[in-house]
Amino acid sequence: MTALLSTSAVGKHYGSGAARMPIIDGLELSIAKGEFVSLVGPSGCGKTTLLMCLAGLLAPSEGQVRFNGQLVTAPPIGLSVVFQDYSRSLLPWKSNLDNVLFGMRRVQLSGPEKRARAVEILAAVGLSGFEAHYPWQVSGGMQQRVAIARGIAAQSQLLLLDEPLAAVDAQTRADMQDLLLDLAKRFNQTCVLVTHDVEEAVYMANRVLVLGPRPTKVVREVIVDLPMPRDQLATREDPAFLHARHEVMALIRGMRQGKALA
Amino acid sequence: MNWAIWAERLRVPICAALLLGAWQLVYALGVVPEKYFPSIPTIATAFWAMLNDGTVLSAWAVTFGRATVGLIGAALLGVALAIISDLSPVLSRGIRYISDVLQPIPPAAFVPMAVFMLGLGTKLYAFVIILVTIWPPYLNGVAALAGVGSVQLNTGRMFGLTNWQLLWQVKLPAALPEIFTGIRYAATISLIAVIVAEMLAGRDGIGFMIFKKAFALRTPEVFGLMFLVGLNGVLLNGLVNLLRQGLTGWHIKMMERPE
Ligand SMILES: Nc1ncnc2c1ncn2[C@@H]1O[C@H](COP(=O)(O)OP(=O)(O)OP(=O)(O)O)[C@@H](O)[C@H]1O
Ligand SMILES: [Mg+2]
Repeated sequence: MTALLSTSAVGKHYGSGAARMPIIDGLELSIAKGEFVSLVGPSGCGKTTLLMCLAGLLAPSEGQVRFNGQLVTAPPIGLSVVFQDYSRSLLPWKSNLDNVLFGMRRVQLSGPEKRARAVEILAAVGLSGFEAHYPWQVSGGMQQRVAIARGIAAQSQLLLLDEPLAAVDAQTRADMQDLLLDLAKRFNQTCVLVTHDVEEAVYMANRVLVLGPRPTKVVREVIVDLPMPRDQLATREDPAFLHARHEVMALIRGMRQGKALA
Repeated sequence: MNWAIWAERLRVPICAALLLGAWQLVYALGVVPEKYFPSIPTIATAFWAMLNDGTVLSAWAVTFGRATVGLIGAALLGVALAIISDLSPVLSRGIRYISDVLQPIPPAAFVPMAVFMLGLGTKLYAFVIILVTIWPPYLNGVAALAGVGSVQLNTGRMFGLTNWQLLWQVKLPAALPEIFTGIRYAATISLIAVIVAEMLAGRDGIGFMIFKKAFALRTPEVFGLMFLVGLNGVLLNGLVNLLRQGLTGWHIKMMERPE
């Protein structure tokens, strides 16, 4: 099977000379169509930097990123990032609907068709009736959903989600997890989810990639052998879930202790 | 019932009444000789006479036109320079030195040199007004464009915007509220520059009229014209505000929202 997204020996550093700071080093990954992959790693290890490289928003210092077999040199059509700082990624002078339409600039549809599609996707994220509101007139959780809707609307095949649920309360978080899984299925989205929360990483994914400390690379792949759709109660009690969670947590704890000793 | 609301609604007439009342009080106390500080009714009568013979209206039109055109020119030029500065850091630093040197120079100091270089006419006004009015839109523009968030820019690039589209569709809309703050300052400066230029080198306009009347010791007329200059400021600011509301109404609403 050919990968939707793949990297070969991607490296990235900031600065040069004495100030050179390596962030990513020899990172290999491959994401197949239809997968839901979680990325976990210590904080500050370079997850956001990696997503920027995958999305063509940052040029890797070494190695290559390929999307649909094509070398990524600029943001390709069919790939959307939902930024960690989602409230700042929405344009405050545009209504929620216009923000979604802004994401559809490169979509080959007529004006009215685009509009209808945007309204449909906003409804799918539970924002019917808020099309004419500005982002700053709705709650943080709703802004997050506008950003997700905009990502999907951009004719996306691959969604890169950078800690999308970090700022919401526990109940909303569970609802949003299920909404995301539902959206991924309904709109045929392959997803890469960056998260700090190991439980969430396992709950959402078919596969968890554990990233090492800076300069980061994939240090372990954990397969989550659980059926979709997931269920907040049954899935979290399944032995396969507990097993995967244990494996990821142990790895991360090991890294933290290693760092504390160093 | 609610004083705060009424005070808010009637703020313009209240301020005007306070100003006129204070004026009359100073007059009534006789601190300054009447010759140099006439009463409000005297000023009003003199102003009415000037209105009737048509001189004031044409002078006003000339002056207000110059200030408005000058402001538009300076704002457009300032923003254009800010965009260029945003593209080229080297140029930005160069213009920064120029602005540091030119900004403290009052408009009056530019006039004599401008008269020699450009003669008495439109070019003189354009030169003086733009030289002193351009800086607030320019400096605010540079700061605002530099302040546009990287997340917003990355969002635009992710959806395939070219650098040029990024400028028009993301950077400028994001920077516009701050640019307008600069344009509001510039409106007042433009008006001052026009009056000064008219006083020193003009053949028409309110500034010229003030100068003429002052030499003739027509104090009531001078004060009447000064009030008119003040009104011009209110009017020009009102026009700028209308434009600001039209272009950045979202920002005004966002700032006013309760929370
Ligand atoms: N533009 C930049 N220039 C220099 N250093 C940077 C830049 N962006 C990020 N860094 C540094 O690179 C490292 C990795 O940052 P990055 O944001 O990719 O990490 P992260 O894993 O997403 O962190 P978090 O868990 O906080 O989201 C950090 O130490 C950060 O300070
Ligand atoms: Mg991050």
